[in-house]
Amino acid sequence: MHEMGIASSILDAVRTELLLYPGYRAARVGVRIGEFAGVDSESLRFCFDAIVKGSALESLELGIVAGKGDELDLSQIEMEEVGA
Amino acid sequence: MIKIDVERKVLGENDRVATGLRAALEATGTLSLNFIGSPGAGKTAFLERTLQMLPQSTRAAVLTGDLQTENDAIRLARYGYPVRQINTVGACHLDARMVEKHLGEWDLRGIDLLFIENVGNLVCPTSYDLGEDAKVVVLSVTEGEDKPLKYPGIFRKSELMILNKVDLLPYVPFAPDLARECARRIQPGIEIIDTSSLTGQGFSQWLSWLMARAGKKRSTCSAVPHADAMRFATV
Repeated sequence: MHEMGIASSILDAVRTELLLYPGYRAARVGVRIGEFAGVDSESLRFCFDAIVKGSALESLELGIVAGKGDELDLSQIEMEEVGA
Repeated sequence: MIKIDVERKVLGENDRVATGLRAALEATGTLSLNFIGSPGAGKTAFLERTLQMLPQSTRAAVLTGDLQTENDAIRLARYGYPVRQINTVGACHLDARMVEKHLGEWDLRGIDLLFIENVGNLVCPTSYDLGEDAKVVVLSVTEGEDKPLKYPGIFRKSELMILNKVDLLPYVPFAPDLARECARRIQPGIEIIDTSSLTGQGFSQWLSWLMARAGKKRSTCSAVPHADAMRFATV
């Protein structure tokens, strides 16, 4: 339900990070979700795919790994050089 | 390809705003409670009864969240305290920015108790820090005893569980001991108070809890305590 908001927070964070790396595009973003985070991974994936579609981040892949407790953290962003 | 370790919370922006709110509430010694429960658990009626029973000198205020309508604010405003409705227009939870925005020009120095009634939902509000001192989960006896096991997140994060509508116990097949056991299995330290907003049962215990917490918050307040604070401590 609130996974749409979570997905958009993830994209905001990626966009913010991209500003620091001109000439790069984001290929993959890693998220850690604990069992008490109150976030359903499948639902998050669904929302994520829905909002990246047609956006500048369309090819961005979402990687979800299990975290501890109520963890809901961004772990890593993989970037590629544009045109590389 | 480069890999950047970002290592930050997904809801970092919400947490940043919540931290600011918490600091503001800390400075004024305002106790803030975030009420979370299913739709129909009786959150609004519980707050109505609470407002009705507060000692007259109490300086309370309420923010109440719903997707649509001003209905709850209208109900809660009947008790003479400042009340604001937050319409989330589709969002299933309150976030810190909504709270910050709706506190607006309210002077927190004039508020000792801030009640925040979240959107009726046991899942999503759990993830959003509103700068509160404590989350209070409201479970009613018309729900399942095993709700704490089904929705562990909110029971794990709540300091107090209100077991509400106990006046209905003679009419519904609900085992309160089992519900309490389920809640403590998730959160061994959770405090539990049985209440009925219709009969007032349990409200003296709840108000004692509330006043003790408010007094404690006031006493740690960085500002110079005023006469009202002393009044709280002795209620």
